[in-house]
Amino acid sequence: MSNAVVVAAVAVITVGSRIVATAVLPPPDGATAEIVRRLPAPLFAAMAALSLVGSDHSGTPALVAAGAAVAVAARRSLLVVVLAGLAGYTFAEAVI
Amino acid sequence: MAGSGSRDAAVTAAALPVAAAIGVFGVFYGAVGNPVLGGELTVASSIAMFSGAAQFTMVALLASHASVGAVVVAVVPLALRHIPLGALVQDRLAPGRVRRAVVSSLFLTDETVGLALTQQAPAARTMAITGGLAYIAWVTGTAAGVAGASVGGAEEAADALFPVLFIGLAAVTASTWRDAVRAAGAGAAAAVLLIAAPAAGVLGAVAAAIVVAWVGVRR
Repeated sequence: MSNAVVVAAVAVITVGSRIVATAVLPPPDGATAEIVRRLPAPLFAAMAALSLVGSDHSGTPALVAAGAAVAVAARRSLLVVVLAGLAGYTFAEAVI
Repeated sequence: MAGSGSRDAAVTAAALPVAAAIGVFGVFYGAVGNPVLGGELTVASSIAMFSGAAQFTMVALLASHASVGAVVVAVVPLALRHIPLGALVQDRLAPGRVRRAVVSSLFLTDETVGLALTQQAPAARTMAITGGLAYIAWVTGTAAGVAGASVGGAEEAADALFPVLFIGLAAVTASTWRDAVRAAGAGAAAAVLLIAAPAAGVLGAVAAAIVVAWVGVRR
């Protein structure tokens, strides 16, 4: 079977799942709605762990960047966290 | 209250570093996809999917001569994470299923949902701006990679940006101390799980977050 068919199948799965998730499934209610209300921060924290642990390049600079980001997370500013992470990465690249 | 112009500018400012990192990965995807799929199909896959996880998985399996079934089995779990992501923004997107489908069909990603939950602009507009910029970067990067561009050490820097971005999104969406404790718990649980069982992958991470969010919820 040609690669074009594989690409088409994966595209249908990927785009289809996005549409189903937002336009087909009913809005959550009851206990599920409460879980969804609580979910954003844990979900993004888990994604951070995934992108850190699962990366092929998660060496010391990436860990220092993540540590610097966590250090300023209490400020609850995306810009501050990203700048701190970039500063941590640059520092680690220069020193290590 | 901020006007729509300044809100759009804020969304754009938050989206640009994300788009730049995604563009770097697009170059890398174009370089690794070209020998497997050919140049035209590699670019077409980025235009049709806009999903780095699914596309890298697909190319890696095709390069190792995996069957169509194996590729589908590997991609379906990645697609399943769209369900909790969709639930987070469903009631914030435009009314009407057709409009929600149009916005989300390409732009429902971890990064666009995170920014949609944290920016003052309406979620649909935030996802359109951030998703549009990231999509352009991804497709352009793919074409550049197919054409032979190299990103050198930028890949490592871009790779380091994603954990930082997700930490920032977790921080901004944690509006109470309990949210912050749940975020720390989910991050730690996911890290332990992924170190102990790397095959758990994205579904394991999502499951860890859902379990932590579920603890203490009354039925």
